[in-house]
Amino acid sequence: MQYQRHITLPNDVQATTELGMFVDEVCENVGFDMSTALKLNLAIEEAVVNVMSYAYPAGTKGDVDIDAEATNEQLKFVISDSGTPFDPTTKGEVDTTLSAEERGIGGLGIHLIRQIMDTINYERVDGKNVLTLSKNLTKNL
Amino acid sequence: MKTTFKEEDNYFVMYFEGRLDTAASAQTEEDMKPLYDCSGHDIILDCTNLEYISSSGLRLFLALLKTAKPKGSHIYIRGINEDLRQVFAMTGFINLFEFK
Repeated sequence: MQYQRHITLPNDVQATTELGMFVDEVCENVGFDMSTALKLNLAIEEAVVNVMSYAYPAGTKGDVDIDAEATNEQLKFVISDSGTPFDPTTKGEVDTTLSAEERGIGGLGIHLIRQIMDTINYERVDGKNVLTLSKNLTKNL
Repeated sequence: MKTTFKEEDNYFVMYFEGRLDTAASAQTEEDMKPLYDCSGHDIILDCTNLEYISSSGLRLFLALLKTAKPKGSHIYIRGINEDLRQVFAMTGFINLFEFK
């Protein structure tokens, strides 16, 4: 099986609803169940919102590209932008055992991505941030 | 995303319906403001019809908890589906809230 889809979104978090529809469609086409689709939605939304919120200076417009590619073994989402170099994989792990008083508000996004995806890879290519998130197709969550 | 606020038997209850994604979080944060005046009331977040929650939604729940707990209010999550319960488990939020 070879399957490819692409979407370009503006750096506006209002576009996350459109992103959700895109991820749902991809998941349905590769045969993931709804429970796995929900979690992939979560991981991809976290990664894309990160770009929308921080890649470009406040008040400037920029795009984020999302390419979904599936083979028989794997579904891969490649998220790229032309913004400030930023490697989200270097972000520290949150401690999920802390109490409400001790828990910070941030850092949950990358934690969820790590929990849900099988591999995460960041590269800086030709002035772009390229984040690749993969999920093995044999594994429903 | 739709929210409804009600007072039921001295509980502050908020009903969540639909997708609490990042696009919906700013409006939902605004909608949740009445819950912050919770002195003397426990709070129920009714998630029976909540289909999806991203980390921006989880942050709203945590922010409310951080305000409500020192006032002596309990926060109960009611009616959450199994998929969203797993998201609460992944983030450790399952240990922070009480479930009904």
